[in-house]
Amino acid sequence: MTDDLRELSGRVSIVGVGDTDYSADWRASRANDPEWTGRDSNGLALLAFERALKDGGLTRKDIDGLAFAVGPTPTETMVDVLGIKPAYVEKGWLYSMMRNAVHAIDEGKANTVALVYGYAQKSMGVEYGGTDIQQGTLSYYYYHPWGWSSQAAHWAMTFQYYSKKYGYTEKDLAAVPVQIRKHAMLNENAVMRTPLTVDDYLASRYIVRPLHVFDLCLVNDGGVCLILRKTNQSRDMPHAPVKIAGWGEYHGRKDKWQNMVEQSLQPYLKISGGQAFSMAAMTHRDIQHLQPYDHGSFIVPLQIEGFGFAKPGEGLAFCQDGRIGLGGELPVNTSGGMLSESYMQGWNQMAEAVRQLRHEAGARQVEGIETSMFCFCSSTGADTFIYQRG
Amino acid sequence: MAEKRPNRVLGPYHDDFWAYCREGELRLQKCGACGYISWPATDACFDCGARGDFSWEKFSGKGKIISWCTFEREYYRGVLPVPWDTILVKLNEGPIFLSNPKGFAYKDIEADMPVKLAFIDCEDNAGQFKLPVFERA
Repeated sequence: MTDDLRELSGRVSIVGVGDTDYSADWRASRANDPEWTGRDSNGLALLAFERALKDGGLTRKDIDGLAFAVGPTPTETMVDVLGIKPAYVEKGWLYSMMRNAVHAIDEGKANTVALVYGYAQKSMGVEYGGTDIQQGTLSYYYYHPWGWSSQAAHWAMTFQYYSKKYGYTEKDLAAVPVQIRKHAMLNENAVMRTPLTVDDYLASRYIVRPLHVFDLCLVNDGGVCLILRKTNQSRDMPHAPVKIAGWGEYHGRKDKWQNMVEQSLQPYLKISGGQAFSMAAMTHRDIQHLQPYDHGSFIVPLQIEGFGFAKPGEGLAFCQDGRIGLGGELPVNTSGGMLSESYMQGWNQMAEAVRQLRHEAGARQVEGIETSMFCFCSSTGADTFIYQRG
Repeated sequence: MAEKRPNRVLGPYHDDFWAYCREGELRLQKCGACGYISWPATDACFDCGARGDFSWEKFSGKGKIISWCTFEREYYRGVLPVPWDTILVKLNEGPIFLSNPKGFAYKDIEADMPVKLAFIDCEDNAGQFKLPVFERA
């Protein structure tokens, strides 16, 4: 932690948020509605962008910075699609782009930066396991000869180890997707809103045993946009600014088994979370709302442990009895996360953090909160952000 | 009769690993700079990043199962049946090796069950090869 980062804490805020119609799009695509043509990744990004502009009371002319993750779309195409002429552009990965955008705004390279995501992954038939995967993360394709592949299998191995070490069962894990589904039922834009009980969970099919279908995130189409500008220029805007108070990042070795399985991701999470707490001058006791990455249910308790909310081995116990629900000690993934709202690779979870801190989350609002923490947690690392109502 | 399997990753370093398997040996790359054992095969040490400075360390093939999972979804439709068992073996020397059980199945596995290396005859699009798997010790 450098003093420079400490000084950047809170200097930039999220002032606009937009997303797409996850639920309606999902239903229309499933119903084979002939009227519904859907949108491609660019179209989803555009819709989210226009909604974020409107939300922030901004026009295209206000946007002089762009950071985007929209499939293979090149920069020239993206700026045309969005109809903007940004001076600052980055194409890449949300979490480094958000940090970089804060630096860029602070250094005067841009005044107002739109972070834009769009991915028509369902329509494109994207798969997260199997022989078609031949590149990217090493563990996704290297073990094909042993018949091992998929995101699901990572968390199946990790949960199996943890459950035997600490004496948990599948029923204990059910508490996570069941609670997150309860939150999604309060969100009209969530894809999965039918009630889910522990019995439903236990009766459901395995994908990779010991994990059931409800332990794994959706694959759906959507887009998200977040607009950033200096906090001291965010006062007279339609909504309370949401300050980017802290962040941390840590990425481990390519041979992830030890960190992922034997150490339950704790080294990644402690370092990444610790950096974010330090930059924000907070501890876990200051965090009132947590948006842990949940492309697999089991990494929710691991993040709860990693950030200090529970002791090692007690993260899954912490997830029982509504403690991670609305009204509980630490409400988690209040819009339904990626298990039940929308799999936007974390972008929807950031959007929810903004809405919660603006106190605009309606039926699922956590009352009066001032802080929220988000983590992009994967099998190889963790990118953590702390947000604060401005 | 060789078992059909999804394709291996082949090329520099990977080919060395499979050549040792053909001789009935499990050998992994030891970094000449820092001594770290990297697996899967790589051109740069996973720990210190040193490039191309490796010896191939021979492993005893003895270890214990630290985790396991079974595929019920057919990610390899037409190639492998389901349910499909996989195990995570911690070799006595330290490294962790993903593999398959030979002669036992999901319901037989307990945490820390001791296992030993075996090789089975397999085939992929690149031809026949010997696959390292584990049987009860």
